[in-house]
Amino acid sequence: MSEALLDIQGLRVEFGDTAAVRGASFTVARGETHCIVGESGCGKSVSALAVMGLLARGARRSADCLTFAGKDLLARNEQQMSLLRGDRMAMIFQEPMTSLNPAYTVGSQMAEVFTRHRGGSRHAALDRAAALLGRVGITAPGMRLGQFPHQLSGGLRQRVMIAMALMCDPELLIADEPTTALDVTVQVQILRLLAELQRDLGLAILLITHDLGIVARIADRVSVMYAGEVVESAPTATLFADPSHPYTRGLLDCVPVPGKVKPGDALGSIPGTVPRIRPSFAGCGFRDRCTHAAPVCAGTVPRQHAGNAHEFLCRLPPGWAATGQAA
Amino acid sequence: MTPAIEVRNLRRTFRVRSGLFGEDKQIVAVDDVSFSLPTGGVLGLVGESGCGKSTLARVILGLLPPSAGEVLVEGQRLSTLDRRARARLIQPVFQDPFASLNPRRRIRDIVAMPLVAQGGIPSRQIAGRVAEMLARVGLSAEQGERFPAQLSGGQRQRVAIARALVLRPRIVICDEPTSALDVSVQAQILNLLAELRRDLNLTYLFISHNLAVVEHVASDVAVMYLGRIVERNVAGTLFRAPKHPYTKALLASVLTPEPGLGVPDVGLGDVLPDPANIPPGCRFHPRCPVAQPRCATQTPLAVAGAECLLLEGAGTP
Repeated sequence: MSEALLDIQGLRVEFGDTAAVRGASFTVARGETHCIVGESGCGKSVSALAVMGLLARGARRSADCLTFAGKDLLARNEQQMSLLRGDRMAMIFQEPMTSLNPAYTVGSQMAEVFTRHRGGSRHAALDRAAALLGRVGITAPGMRLGQFPHQLSGGLRQRVMIAMALMCDPELLIADEPTTALDVTVQVQILRLLAELQRDLGLAILLITHDLGIVARIADRVSVMYAGEVVESAPTATLFADPSHPYTRGLLDCVPVPGKVKPGDALGSIPGTVPRIRPSFAGCGFRDRCTHAAPVCAGTVPRQHAGNAHEFLCRLPPGWAATGQAA
Repeated sequence: MTPAIEVRNLRRTFRVRSGLFGEDKQIVAVDDVSFSLPTGGVLGLVGESGCGKSTLARVILGLLPPSAGEVLVEGQRLSTLDRRARARLIQPVFQDPFASLNPRRRIRDIVAMPLVAQGGIPSRQIAGRVAEMLARVGLSAEQGERFPAQLSGGQRQRVAIARALVLRPRIVICDEPTSALDVSVQAQILNLLAELRRDLNLTYLFISHNLAVVEHVASDVAVMYLGRIVERNVAGTLFRAPKHPYTKALLASVLTPEPGLGVPDVGLGDVLPDPANIPPGCRFHPRCPVAQPRCATQTPLAVAGAECLLLEGAGTP
């Protein structure tokens, strides 16, 4: 396995009396796609914002280790972080309309990223912007540079966001639900583009999604988050073949897949809702919804190693699901 | 038997102005749509944003008058029914349980509103029916005393369902009822809707952009593209053997959680459908991966439930 480009150990983020991320750890290797999957409120977006140093004021961030390409991000101040953002690490968001400035043309926004980090003339920056718009599959890039964001469709806006993120040749792209606001046919086009860019540019991608279908199709590695913790992490094929945390198993049962459940039969579902976790909370965050919960789940939860870089956070031993040891 | 919903040659257009001094443009949101839905059936209506599926739902609910054509609900023309009579027959469940519930009212008052609006129902009877309905959708009496902001998204959608069913309607129009919900909650709501339909013998028009969800709930599926139903069939057949190239592309876009398959190339290109500018001939031809020259000029007719010139016998030159 190649060296970790992004290494996060024991990340904690708290807002007031809510613990949004509780000791999450994951690494993204150079050139790999790592998906963080989970439901709303599980801490996946907050983790990404914490890495970028973009948390809202009032958030408290701490970590045992937070490094990007060997640099300690915890020691960097806002000004030093802003030198990295948009340059060596870039981020794209769910709704490109809210992350593009409606008052400036596509070209001026893209050029600003480049001149700010790399200097040079605006003309050179616009040339690069046009080349990248072509690279992300936009026809007539010269014309698009002069347009405003509202003149573009949702799919085009997301392509513009991706092209803008690529302006300074980043090593890491963080994509937060990049296709959630798009139609399914456009979604597959954007995902194909991301996969292709990764292959051609050797980009590492940290992709945040709630959609297990997307995870299965483009991730090399998956981390499942629940209530602020990474409850399971594994190479993609392993996770789908041998989901070991009760939450991962429940989540997979909930996803409607054509032909999986007979018409008229009930879908699998997880009772209850995601709890709000206070900083003093201890034990397994899933225990109130878990069918395998036991009194020990209120204590410290062990990290189980199932081999092949597959880990999960549960009292149940590796292989419990296969051997029926879930008593 | 009289179908629960019958739609005949329905058309709905909007006038929009492009820019401050631009010309008026006509958008054809629903273009000559006809279908019928038998009692107890679930018609899944799928299509991309802007295809007219929500406009169709609003016309069937009587929230928008049709520009042409008519809607019959249980054999009665919608235009001849007043609001109260319509509300007793047909009710909606919308996508966003955050926007569709009045934030200043208690849950029990929100659910009681359709009964109150009918007029003449004693308040004790209303309270009884609200309590019964809340229990039926899995909410406690204590939750009935709360305000929408105090409930989760899934619980709010249960409230919306209770409000829709409290008048004991025959038909429910579900417009993207689970799109705003997390998958684990989506499954709970889909299971609840299926159970209620069986127990109360309801008919659903179920609108969704998620084909996997539609496959799970629908008995029949209609695929909409730029205002027209381009394919309609029994759900099992449509998913097993789609005929229209657009249906095939939509099905290919469904990302099932199966690792190793990669992201498919659905071959639709990057021309996007624009309801203000409907292409001549087959309206899908600019995006169609198998389009022929004649598709740009000839309008396809429905053959075996699908409107495509390439299907056998259609539009022979």
